[in-house]
Amino acid sequence: MSNDAPKMKLGAFLMAGGHHIAAWRHPKAYARAGVDIDHFISLTQMAERAHMDLVFFEDAAAIRERDPRLASQAARSTSFEPLSLLAALAVNTSRIGLVATASTTYNEPYGLARTFASLDQLSGGRAGWNLVTSASELEAENFVSSGLRPHAQRYARAEEFADVALALWDGVDAGAHIVDGVKGVYADPAKIHPVGHDGAHFSVHGLLDSQRSPQGRPLMVQAGASDAGMNLAARTADVVFSAAQTLAEAQAFYTGIKSRLAQFGRSPDDLKIMPGLSPIVGATVREARAKYDALQALIPDEVGVALLASYLSIKSLSDYPLDGPLPDMPPNAGIQSRQQLIIDLGRRENLSIRELARHFAGARGHWQVIGTPSQIADEMEARFCSGGADGFNIMPPLFPGGLEDFVALVIPELRRRGLFRMNYEGATLRENLGLGPVTRR
Amino acid sequence: MMHLGVSLSPFGHHPAAWRQPGATPRALDFRHLVAQVQKAEGGALDFVLLGDAQARRPRIDLPPQTTPFEPTTLVAALATRARKIGFVVTAASGQHELYNLARRFASLDLISQGRMGWNLVASGPTVSWNKEYVAVVTALWDSWDANAFVYDKSAGRFFEPNKMRVLEHRGEHFTVRGPLNVNPSPQGKPLIAQALTAETLALVAHSTELLLVANASQEAGRGMVIEARQLLTGQGRDSSEVRSLANVVPWIGATRAEARNRFDHINGLSSQESLKSWQGRDVIGTATDIADALQESFERGDFDGFTIMPPIAPDDLNAFVDCVVPELRRRGLFRAHYEGATLRDHLSLKPSQQPAR
Repeated sequence: MSNDAPKMKLGAFLMAGGHHIAAWRHPKAYARAGVDIDHFISLTQMAERAHMDLVFFEDAAAIRERDPRLASQAARSTSFEPLSLLAALAVNTSRIGLVATASTTYNEPYGLARTFASLDQLSGGRAGWNLVTSASELEAENFVSSGLRPHAQRYARAEEFADVALALWDGVDAGAHIVDGVKGVYADPAKIHPVGHDGAHFSVHGLLDSQRSPQGRPLMVQAGASDAGMNLAARTADVVFSAAQTLAEAQAFYTGIKSRLAQFGRSPDDLKIMPGLSPIVGATVREARAKYDALQALIPDEVGVALLASYLSIKSLSDYPLDGPLPDMPPNAGIQSRQQLIIDLGRRENLSIRELARHFAGARGHWQVIGTPSQIADEMEARFCSGGADGFNIMPPLFPGGLEDFVALVIPELRRRGLFRMNYEGATLRENLGLGPVTRR
Repeated sequence: MMHLGVSLSPFGHHPAAWRQPGATPRALDFRHLVAQVQKAEGGALDFVLLGDAQARRPRIDLPPQTTPFEPTTLVAALATRARKIGFVVTAASGQHELYNLARRFASLDLISQGRMGWNLVASGPTVSWNKEYVAVVTALWDSWDANAFVYDKSAGRFFEPNKMRVLEHRGEHFTVRGPLNVNPSPQGKPLIAQALTAETLALVAHSTELLLVANASQEAGRGMVIEARQLLTGQGRDSSEVRSLANVVPWIGATRAEARNRFDHINGLSSQESLKSWQGRDVIGTATDIADALQESFERGDFDGFTIMPPIAPDDLNAFVDCVVPELRRRGLFRAHYEGATLRDHLSLKPSQQPAR
């Protein structure tokens, strides 16, 4: 590839000990990573030194496992709250994008839009919001007595939520704060546009107290792969984070989203698709495989099976033989798209519940590639160059080692091939992602 | 020992502070705000208070007294750049889902390693709603027993399951399963602060550890504190585990005449301004005069300390730390350096206790 060819976008999907469910048990794992802010600052700075586009954080506003005995075996049972975490990272980095997940079902648009405006200001235009509608029962039980709302209701609220947030971010123009003491003018009234919104879900009247975002407005990220999710993404998102096991799945999703953009007056370049990728890097195939096996050996079966059940949005798989296939499952109110991906994977590779659970425990259904730097770069290049991805959200199985491996071994290989930047192109996250400037809606 | 906090404001707390010559929009930048926090930390002050002009909505103007940042977001950034001083951060109960607020503050307490306090604005619909809100937030913060997290790699045990408290709260106003998905901090849980007024008295007596007194009149403020202490003792709380701090607006000059001139000049600029937002007792004079006034009030037992509201920032903050704090130290009234690591340590409070099971 030539040097002026399009470059891959690369995110670092951070998590305390690693994406692998048993990573925290690894001899090299830092068990207290999840309560150490300096651990996250140093991982983010590592990704920034490699000129990665962004760091990414998922979220759940609940413990992730109902059974205390199972929850007690997983490091991801507790974590920093991602928006406070992002603020801490913003002032300890200067170039890398900072994206965190927040729910439209369990927040109000004014407060959340205000928080992201603050994050965008603290970071100098590097903040992004991964919009989710929260599919888990355990989250619902922390907020309402009526249980998880149906998928369609959650997305109807999300559509209106996104519109209110976008309007609030447009409420203050650049340079609205004048601070002219002599004339007694603090803010220019012509540059202030209070929102007056009365909708089915929200009534919002007022103004954010922030200055205008240095990148126009925070980046909008989404991961929903249902029809409603893809429509919301096509209308409002700048980046889509997805899960795809095979090249064909990745291409189908890529085409599915990009083909929807025109109906919202957008062009294919206005939205970047970054599927998750968990790389297990070794100098040789044998070494990579040994790293993977060492992690796999640390998974208690019951923890792996419980994680699988939670992503299938069913209470338990314990009524089925571990060495038999997945049972047939009805659609449910939870994550419909991920459920289908798991079922397809089990059928395609003819996996038992135990095997599927162990496979799934590495990257929660995301694409895993085990191999040498050049093998991993080959796989990434194939998807990038054949309409499967604009980039990848990298999910190292173990921190910091897995990210160190990717940064030290895979990124240089991508650069040799002209697939990844040598330096940041711009100052803001939008500029580095190659997204155009934002105009008032 | 006297306790001292300082309230953060880009231009200062006086409504006309932004009209001072030299004030520019750059004062709104993070680096100027963190410089103020670091100045306060240099003086070994107990905490920085972050107010919130948006705690009462809706607003359709841009208010100059508080920062242009959402305070529970801003404070996470500040806490990584000032690693000793405590923080007391305003958030309105009516503006945050209960679980989210408990989680945000627990996370802030962990980011700061135990230096966080919540300045509660009880903006919920009723007293009973606010009481239940605060009680459930506190119970969520108590989700984990001390030493619940064992990180036992070989046994595969991240925490001891019998040391997790699943709340299963079903109350009149809230249904919250729990537990909180954030580890406890070195001070156990965040401290709860609240402005003490006739309206907040009942809730203050119920759950507040740091009483913030905004009365311009010392006598009125003192009366409120006595009433609150009686009320909370009557509810079985330990009055010695509560701190009361009065707001003080120090107008500091090299001479009394200079201090008085500053006061008069700025008040002259504020004819069209609202003078009611952040209140406190104006003290006008030299650094020695300010120290005299604080000492007199402190030694009379009116208050455990003071929240300094610099009328002009950063000038009055700098003058307070550089001139008044050393004078208080010479008199043996204020610490020379931090003696503990957490906000509760700074305020000479015990680490938080969990209720028995």
